[in-house]
Amino acid sequence: MSRSQADLGLTATVAVLACAAAAVSAPVAVTAVLGILILAAPGYLLGELLFGAAIEGLERVAVAAGLALCVPILGGLILYAAGVQLHRATWLGLLAGLTLACDLVLLWRRRSGRAASFGWAPRRLPRRHAMAFGAAVAIAVCAVGIARAGVVWQHYPGFTQLWLVRSQGNAASVNLGVANHEGKTARYRLVLLRNFRPAGSWNLTLANGQTWHRSPSSSGRRISVKLYKLPELAHSYRYVAIDGSGAQ
Amino acid sequence: MQLPVSAIAVSAAIGVLVVAGAYTAGRLGHASSAWADSAYWLGQVLILVPAAARLLSRRVLTAGETMTLVIVLTVAEYLVMICYSPAAFSYVDELQHWRSTMNVLQTGRLFSVNYLLPISPRYPGLEEVTSALASVSGLSVFTSGLIIAAVAHLLFVCVLYLLFREVSGSYRIAGVAVLCYASNSHFDSFDSMFIYQTLALPFLALTLLAAWRLASGRIAGQRARWLALAVLTIAATVVTHHVTSYVLPVALLVITVAALLTGNRRAAAWPAVLALMSSAAAAGWLVSAAPQTWSYLQPFADLTVQSIRALLAGGHSSAPPTSGGPPGDQLLGAAAVLIVSALLPVGWWQVWRRYRGQPWTVAMAILSASWYVLVAVRLTVTDGSELAGRAATFTFIPAAYIVALAIGHLAGIAVRWQARAVAAAVLVVLLMLMFDGLANGWPPYWERLPGAYQVAGSERSVEPEVIDGARWTLAALGPGNQFAADFGSYPVLGSYGDQNPLRNVAYLYTSPVYSQSDTLRAQAQALRFVWVDSRLSKSLPAYGQYFPVDPRAGKYTHPLPAADLDKFNHVPGVGRIYDSGNIVIYELPGT
Repeated sequence: MSRSQADLGLTATVAVLACAAAAVSAPVAVTAVLGILILAAPGYLLGELLFGAAIEGLERVAVAAGLALCVPILGGLILYAAGVQLHRATWLGLLAGLTLACDLVLLWRRRSGRAASFGWAPRRLPRRHAMAFGAAVAIAVCAVGIARAGVVWQHYPGFTQLWLVRSQGNAASVNLGVANHEGKTARYRLVLLRNFRPAGSWNLTLANGQTWHRSPSSSGRRISVKLYKLPELAHSYRYVAIDGSGAQ
Repeated sequence: MQLPVSAIAVSAAIGVLVVAGAYTAGRLGHASSAWADSAYWLGQVLILVPAAARLLSRRVLTAGETMTLVIVLTVAEYLVMICYSPAAFSYVDELQHWRSTMNVLQTGRLFSVNYLLPISPRYPGLEEVTSALASVSGLSVFTSGLIIAAVAHLLFVCVLYLLFREVSGSYRIAGVAVLCYASNSHFDSFDSMFIYQTLALPFLALTLLAAWRLASGRIAGQRARWLALAVLTIAATVVTHHVTSYVLPVALLVITVAALLTGNRRAAAWPAVLALMSSAAAAGWLVSAAPQTWSYLQPFADLTVQSIRALLAGGHSSAPPTSGGPPGDQLLGAAAVLIVSALLPVGWWQVWRRYRGQPWTVAMAILSASWYVLVAVRLTVTDGSELAGRAATFTFIPAAYIVALAIGHLAGIAVRWQARAVAAAVLVVLLMLMFDGLANGWPPYWERLPGAYQVAGSERSVEPEVIDGARWTLAALGPGNQFAADFGSYPVLGSYGDQNPLRNVAYLYTSPVYSQSDTLRAQAQALRFVWVDSRLSKSLPAYGQYFPVDPRAGKYTHPLPAADLDKFNHVPGVGRIYDSGNIVIYELPGT
């Protein structure tokens, strides 16, 4: 393909690669780049089809960007109205299909002399300005990095979740669970009471982020659970209670 | 100041870095320290002052430099917003749209229920674009949302610049107008967040640009193309955001009227056609796909009309005192109102002298008068500050342009008279407007820096224990349960938890007994669960209210008594189903 059709070749390649990357479950680093390009491609091509070289500069970029945003909005709506669910394959089909269709139409229009060929005359930025803009980008990236590091470094008080809920679809049991978010491994003692009398106990050691589940019977008028964080056994750390099924 | 634009870009980047440092200091426990706050403002000075000074300097910028300056400023302020919550959405409005987008991604369906913002699925434009990008790129909804919001916000500013440049014929006036527009208090927040308005704004601007091109008569052979673009952007506006889709035909109608007033029928025809098309599209969508819009917007409209009626009748409006804040911020806010109010007549005078035959400039002058309505609403109407802030996004477009004409005139006088004092005063005025937008915008002063959990602290109430509690509700209880929750937990429960938190639930938390009438009221609301955060009894609400609808908003002098929150432990039949220390969830009987 000649340089005058380089944009068509590039967009068609992006469309094909985006579909291929999805088919082989390529890593996110690859699909992210292709995904952004395939979202932008139809807008660029529609802009070329509508206006070609009639508009330029910022206006040309703005129109292409606006059309790129219009495509998933209006295209998605039309597909949904036609009964198609909006999953990955649908979006890829819409964006890649429209890209390839626009490529073909634009190629035909250019070959028949109805549209201007692709031309790109990059402006040369003086080196010191280019370096300054590059530095600005690098500093901005550092700024976002520092902000993200702040989120990682921010200290939150740890906590432990304890829950006791009736099982959905099984009235004979309840869901009992503990999740450790203390930021470190913790040891617990869990005491189950039926009608305020001990009916079972467990000693747990949970790593940070680890969850523990059981589904004890819902028998008894009142089921309550006390969670102690060891070594403290004088006062319960967490407490939950619900009415049982009533059966003994 | 003769700094090259590239140096201004470096200064802006350093400004973003300093602000990011201040944010990190806030997260590490210095959110209330004066030096961290000063660092934030130093960063903003590095971003804003060089750009404003360069735009108003005696050595005129080229068109490309002006455009670059506008882009640098917009990107820098957007990065500041990202640095505020760089790992996940924390702004309440963003959480609402995050939920809608997740619903589209998980189900493949549009118009799914969003309990937090029921109207949002009816305007699915933002969710469609974001879920498309997230699907094809494999990026998270957060990253995809940031990309879409960034593109939309930058696109809006660029098209606004193009419009101002076309209408004024001066890229310098266009640059100053964009700077003035950037001083509106929502520019750096609600106009650039991951919310549906952010995406609708560039479509509105592109439609206006198409209308300008169609009406200008210098596009022989291109009318059909611009008309096609206008049709697409009108459709995209209509399915993306309700208020923007109503503002569009109004703006086009005023342009039509202005064209007729100036005797330019050709300039009136195309805006009239587009006004008709956009009205029909908005009405069609309202009737066919989003009939709930009216009931969503009606309370705001009723409140405004009632308050204005009461005011005109000589009575008192029901408006509480406008939101407080440090005296410095309030003073800056008042000064900004006075400055804009004083500059608009200067701009109108310029319109009368030089542009009274130009329909678009006359239309801007007419529409800019709405600024004074906005000020009246802010001062007299209940929730006036919020209403005025939301309306400023639109009102400030013509107002910024007319103010820019005034500033351009004054700067011209300064150059002619060699009056450095006047030039400096013009720069100070512009900077005061811009800093007012930051000081009195969002986030508010009490959470300007991110930091530890705050009771009813909006973004600062979004923290791991609340998020994990909300996630637990979705996993253990399923979606859509009617919940009572406090102001801070409400958006997290509705988004991460996909629950249906009700707004009018203050009665459950403000008495030491769960009475029979409370029981009946809870049953009437079909309430199933009560979310109780014991931290409500430890400090006053940062936002002034503990609950989404709070009869005692702004009147609290002590935190809620712990007994009012613990009472459910002693109510027979109430289940205590979840306990994470600060947060306890109760299940009400008979549900």
